[in-house]
Parts: sequence; structure tokens; C-alpha cells
Amino acid sequence: MLLNSLLRRRCARLSALWLALAASPWAHATSPIAYPAAPASPLTRAAVPTSAASAAEADSDAEDSGNLSASARRIYDFGRPRLLQVRTLLRDQDSQASVGSGSLVGADGLILTNYHVVSQVALEPQRYRLNFQTVDGVTGALQLIAFDVVHDLALVRMAKPPATVSERGVFEFRPATTPLAQGERIFSLGNPLDVGFAVVEGTYNGLVERSFLPQILFSGSLNPGMSGGPVLDDKGHIVGVNVATRRDGQQISFLVPAEFAQALIARGAHAKPITASVEAEMARQLLQHQQQLTTRFVALPWRETKHAHYSVPVPQEDFMRCWGSSNPSESKGLSFERSDCQMDTAIFINESLRTGDMSVRHEVYDGSKLGALRYAEEAGQSFRNEGMGRRTHDLTAPKCQEDFVESGGLPMRTVMCLRAYRRLPGLYDVAVLSQSVDAKTEGVQGRFDARGVSFDNAMLLATHYLKGFAWKRSP
Amino acid sequence: METLALIETLDRDGQPRQVLRVSQWPVRIGRAIDCDLVLDDPHVAALHATLDMREDGLHVVPAASVNGVRLGRASVVPGSTPLLPSSGQMTLGATTLRVRLASETLAPEERLLDLHHYEHRHGAALVALIVIASLWKGFDLWLSAVPGAPGSALAWGYLSAPIGLMVWCVVWAIGSMLFQRRFAFWPHLQVALTWLLVAVLAEEVCQQLAFALSAPLIEKAGRLVFVGALAMMVWRHMGLLLPTRRRAFAIAIGSAVVVGGGLLLVDRSMQQEPLVGDLYLGTISLPGMRVAKPVSIDAFVKSAAPLQQTLSHWAKPGDDDDDSPSGDDD
Repeated sequence: MLLNSLLRRRCARLSALWLALAASPWAHATSPIAYPAAPASPLTRAAVPTSAASAAEADSDAEDSGNLSASARRIYDFGRPRLLQVRTLLRDQDSQASVGSGSLVGADGLILTNYHVVSQVALEPQRYRLNFQTVDGVTGALQLIAFDVVHDLALVRMAKPPATVSERGVFEFRPATTPLAQGERIFSLGNPLDVGFAVVEGTYNGLVERSFLPQILFSGSLNPGMSGGPVLDDKGHIVGVNVATRRDGQQISFLVPAEFAQALIARGAHAKPITASVEAEMARQLLQHQQQLTTRFVALPWRETKHAHYSVPVPQEDFMRCWGSSNPSESKGLSFERSDCQMDTAIFINESLRTGDMSVRHEVYDGSKLGALRYAEEAGQSFRNEGMGRRTHDLTAPKCQEDFVESGGLPMRTVMCLRAYRRLPGLYDVAVLSQSVDAKTEGVQGRFDARGVSFDNAMLLATHYLKGFAWKRSP
Repeated sequence: METLALIETLDRDGQPRQVLRVSQWPVRIGRAIDCDLVLDDPHVAALHATLDMREDGLHVVPAASVNGVRLGRASVVPGSTPLLPSSGQMTLGATTLRVRLASETLAPEERLLDLHHYEHRHGAALVALIVIASLWKGFDLWLSAVPGAPGSALAWGYLSAPIGLMVWCVVWAIGSMLFQRRFAFWPHLQVALTWLLVAVLAEEVCQQLAFALSAPLIEKAGRLVFVGALAMMVWRHMGLLLPTRRRAFAIAIGSAVVVGGGLLLVDRSMQQEPLVGDLYLGTISLPGMRVAKPVSIDAFVKSAAPLQQTLSHWAKPGDDDDDSPSGDDD
């Protein structure tokens, strides 16, 4: 990648903020939302019922305001007994490591939440445990029952359900036969920033466009801590689950569609608590996901590129979003045009690992103002400054294969680097970097990345990508 | 009268400070005026020792003293009268003496390490080196400069390297001043330029060859040559300071390279990084430089199959400490 393009590059990747509220600096740094004055001190347990109570008082003051608030209040009153906060605590202390929300979906104390709310417990049960707290202050331990890491959902169950749990009732799902219309008012419940349970009104805006994993676009303010909370229609039926929000927008929030939650409940409601390692099951789900993604991706033809001499693999924008940029034409050095295509959805595994997505980018260089030697130098610098990653807690170091490769009459210097997942057997990250070496003062450099694919699919995708390059005879 | 021997009083640097011609044995040495060799050293007794020629050679006869007599590192036991060693050196108090006997065979004449007027004798070589280095540096700057960039920025880039080199050579020249009493700037400049050029050119040639033949190993070899050339440079610098210690310096630098390199290799292999150089060859050269034929995509992808085995080996748990259940590292 060219260094100057790196500096000028627009913030093309506008990553979503997952909504679990964690005590980590990451959550604070990335959350643009003003946080209470003393964010570092864990909030006391007594504070939650107090603030909930004061919220109720405020509600009664506004009793005779318009219809909308009245229906929000009705929804909150309906959801209140079935709404919970899901807390991840340190194994041997009562300090909370992160908090999210959840909803009662089974009379035996079955609770639906996000996978990322319980990920610490799922991955490191020796360090963390789960707890719940209802709006009226009942607390208890939770057990992990099942999870769907791809759609970011999890089922937990109360370890010792209180005798009164069946009196609380459960949330029902909106029938698939009556789909929501765009613009319909829906209500998100949860405990934002651990300050107290809240109901947020917003609008259903259909599914997010160009997203490989279906997500509902919810125009309403979701905040960290609301993750896993239910989103209800005006009858109190679940239409989705709070999952993420965009840091760079306003009221751009995302929900997991209810159908995936129903599917998880259908297969996991009667499962025994998970006591063994979750990594094998997680790898199985991710392998299934990457198979679907790869199959769909390689079935799509590459887009036509307008360059006079090179055909470059640029993906269709079915589930990717591309951003283009170029340097000013008055530049006396290397002119380039750049295209950056990325998937919006990545799968959350843990705080440091997202996977299950792809990106494709290329830069087309014109070095006619530089001459052959200087062009070769610039191209070389741009070629060798590509990061392939280092060994981490989750991934091995990269191992590469390199050679001159020919595609469609175009000779290229090509490097393919793979990293293996250290805890998810059978999954790899693959990066293919390719630089044309046919001309003295012009060329193209492309890079393809796929995260969390099988070795065979990594090879398949690399082949598919490299075949997208070709030399075009000038018309 | 015939001179039987010379007794030299040596200074800190081993140079004679005072010389006594000996025409008869024994020779009495001490601080008292009536000694044959009078030493002005408060650590020496009035009569400290006597040198006496016997049938088997010259003997040291110590007198009563606080500090005694040392031959090399060994102290002479009171009451014994050892033979003076072949080096002829002995230490009385804080004063070192060297005895040269008339009967000794002289060592052959040594070639002078003449650091003085060096630039006159090696002028042509020095000028050639400076010209080559300047051209190289200029070419290097030209390569990475954007056409039309302001000349002042280039000038700074151009000046920083010679200034750094000057400082380097001045530091070594001060070292020469310390040991050789000569501010040997030019000899050090020649050493530095020669080996820096060898290092940089070898690296560049290896990069180009590696690209031409699609052989990343050549580039890695270039890196080793680079390090070797820098080690040679340091060794030559040190040799100018103390020519007699070259062997010891070679051993010291060699072991430093071996130990440092070894530690680096262990560290890199722990991090699963390539032992030498980068992850992949980063050189892109002129199209005409390429000799190796490109392979087909299928052949390339097939050749990557062995990566799977390496990676699954790397991914195996239990090869580091952060797998332990009690690990509290993140």
C-alpha cells in the first residue's frame, strides 16, 4: 500500500460498535457517548433499582403526554418483568467485567442474549461467571446453554430459577407471516451503560443493504449495555435483538432478526449447560459460515475495470462496499487510483478477534512522471510495506508462499500468506498480495484478505482472486 | 666500559622514561640516593631489590619492603631469588622496570603503523571512495525523491549521512589519539567508507538477484553479508587503535555476532518469524531484470500446500505460557 494513500485514505471502514458494556479501555475509547463522571468505579448494585424506580416516577409524571410515549410506557410495563441485565463477573470476585441485557424466553428461566455479552464466560469459564439481575432486583447465577456465534446470539438459563419465575411470563416472537413495514415504530429494551433499565423508541428500516449476514436497521439510539436486549413491536412481540451501533452515525443501530433467535431456541432450549470447551462448536459454526460465504463469493464474476491495460479483480457490491480514492492529478510523483472493498459484517469472537469477512483492494499506478528506476523503487516500497500480522493470542504468525505468477498474460510478483487460528482448529486467515511486473512505469497492486476460512477455501479464493487479473490489449 | 645491559623505567604506556646503562653487576635498586638505580616512587623501599648475574642468568634478590617485587602477576616470595623472566619485566612498588641484556637476540624490525601523513599516501584511494559513496548516496536520494521536490529538503537528506559518518570517524580518531597518539581521522574514514560500501552494495546486488531469479534466499544471504561487513568494519577500526590486539578483537567481535545473532534467532523462532530477513521478498525491479519464468496460478496455489502442515504445527497449543488456565495476561 502506498504510504501517502495510507495517510489520505478516507475512513472507509466504519466499524460497528458491539454493545456489551465492558470495563475495558476499549469500550470507553471507542464509545462517543458521554459517560457518567466516574466511569472507572463499578456501579453499586443498589444504584440500579433506585434509578429504575426514579424512571418509573418520571413516567407517571408524563402520564398524559402524547400517544407515542404512552405506548412506550405500555411496552415497558409489559416487558419489565421479563427484562434482565446479564452480567459477566470475575470468577472469584463480585466485580463485573462487562454487562449486557437479556430477555426471558422460557418459563424455566431461559434467557436470550448476545453471544458477545457472554463471550468471556464462553471462552474462559475458568476466569469468569455469569449473573443476572431483574428490574425488580432479583439476582442469581446463569449457565450458558447454546450459542450462535455467526449471528451473535446466545441462550443462558438461570441455574436455580426462583419459584416465581413462571409468574413473570415470557416474551413471544412476532410471527414471520406478518412482516414489519418500513417506518413502523419498534421499542428496544435494555440497560444502557449500566445506568438503569430503559426503553428506546425507534423505527424499523428494513434489512441493512449489502450485508452478508442479515441485520435489521433500527433508527434509534442503542448504547453499550443494551446488547442482547429485546426489540418489541407494539404488541410486545420480539422482532429482533439489540446487537451493535455505528460510532460515526446517529441513531444507526443494528438488530439480529428474530428468526435466528427462534432457530437457536428451537435447537438449544432443552440443551444441557455447556461445561466443556466451546471452541470446537464455535469452529464448526464458523466453518459452516465460511463455506456459504466462499460459495457465494466465488460464484460472483469480477466487475469490469476501466483501466486501459489491466483487468483487476474488483468484487460485485452484493455484500461488499467499495470506496475509491486517487491522488491529486497535479502530483509530480506517482499517480494512483485506489479501490477498497470491504464487508460490513464481521463476526465477533472476542475483544481482539473479528472474523468471517473479506476485503479486496487494489491500487493502479502511473509512474510516467517518475521514470523506470524511480517507479520500480516506489512500487517496491508499496509492495513491502504491507502488513501480514504477527503472532497473537488468537492467531499464529503468517507463513508465506511467493513467486512470479502469470494470469491472463500478466506477470506478477505474488505473495500468499496464511495464519492459522490457534484455538479454532481448521480456520485460517489468508492474504494474497500481487504486483504486476510487466511494464516499466505503470502497474497494479492488489490485495485480497479473507478471515476465518478453511485451508481449501483459502486456496480456492486465492485462485479465484488471482484469475481476476489480466493484461488487456489496448483497443 | 662495556655496556652489559639497559634497565628502563617504563611509564603507564610502556614507554621508557629513564634508562640506566649497566656496566657491572649487581645493581641495587631503591629510593635511597646510594642505590645504582634511584626510583622516585613512594611505594619503593630505600633498598627494594638487587639484580645479580649468576651462572644461569639474571636473578632478582628482593630486599625487605612493604610492597615487594612482582614478576608479571606473581609476587616474589620473600627469601627466594627467582630468575628474571624472558620478558625482562619486573615491578617494584608502582614502578615497572624492563631489563635488556646485551646478549639478547634482537627481534626483527616491525613495520611502522604510520597514521601520520596517511592522507598523503592513500589520497587517491580516499578520494575514490568518497566519490563513489557520494554518488551512491546521491543516487539513493534521487530514487526516492519526488520530482520537483524542494532542493533544501534533499540537501538535508544528503548532508545527514556524511555528518553521521564524520562523527563516527571522529570518535574512532579520538580512540586512536588515546592509544596511538595520533588523531587518525583519515584512516578511520577509509575503513568506514570501504566496509559501508561493501555492505550496501552486497545487499543491493543480492536484492536484485533475488528478484531476477525469484530466489528470496539470496536476499537473506545479502542481509548476512551486510552484517558481516559491518562487523569487519568495527574490527578494522579497533585494529587501528591497538594493532597488537587484532586477534583478541576478532574473537570478541566474532563471539558478539554469534551470541547476539543466536539470541535473535531464538527470539524470532519463538515468535514464528523468519529467522533472517522479512516475511517475503519486498523488491520490485525493472521488468527487464526478471529472469525467472512466471508459474501458472494453479501451480502457485498448489505449491502453497505445505503451508498447512507448518501452520497446524504452529497452532498446536501448549507451546507457550499463555495457554495456562491461570494465565492472567490479557
